[in-house]
Amino acid sequence: MDFNSSLRIAATGLHAQTARMRVIAENLANADSAGKAPGDEPYRRRIPTFETSFDPDVGGKVVEVGKLAYDMSDFTSRYEPGHPAADAKGYVQYPNVNSLIETMDMREAQRTYEANLNVVTVTRQMLGRTLDILRG
Amino acid sequence: MAITTPFNAAAAAYGNASKLINQAATPNKDLLAQTGQGGGPNFAEMLASQVQGVVDTGRASDQMSLDMVNGKANVVDMVTALSQTEIAIESMVTVRDRVISAYEEIMRMPI
Repeated sequence: MDFNSSLRIAATGLHAQTARMRVIAENLANADSAGKAPGDEPYRRRIPTFETSFDPDVGGKVVEVGKLAYDMSDFTSRYEPGHPAADAKGYVQYPNVNSLIETMDMREAQRTYEANLNVVTVTRQMLGRTLDILRG
Repeated sequence: MAITTPFNAAAAAYGNASKLINQAATPNKDLLAQTGQGGGPNFAEMLASQVQGVVDTGRASDQMSLDMVNGKANVVDMVTALSQTEIAIESMVTVRDRVISAYEEIMRMPI
């Protein structure tokens, strides 16, 4: 049934945004996770990827969460001589997480989630209105 | 000539009426033959399969709710399953109401 397929496709969109939100939560929570010792690498930002795949059950293309990629950009370093992970010059490597970028990503995830929820709502409304013809 | 025209018209009308009666009679025979042989899906089967579908989706969503309570299922999955069940039940109930009203209409028909 077509209405069911749109519902299920929208549900995969919801899933994808849930997974994205989880990654954003990880990034934000670990924004200050520097290493313990001078040589340690701090937390590396992760990026969710999305893939399209054909689901024969649904009869349409659904979205799937692909591999979680690592953001290979440079870490930020801060001058904190008292930190246990500070190097000889007193600099500490901090994760390459920018909370501003994460906030924007979060907003985007929220909007996309709402868009998918709207698909669910409108689909149900369309079905309900169609059934109303019989009730008439 | 003046007399034969109305007579012809009456004969034609009679012919038409008998044709109509025959037409009304033959589809009934066909319908009965079809249900007897089970050539196509009959109405009861259609309704039964629809009810079965509703029962199946209901079971799935029940299972999903249980999993949800046990912390195994996702909120999105549960809501999707529940709303699918709701839609299936709603359409089944609407069709049922329609069928029953049609049946009542037939029962009220003066014979």
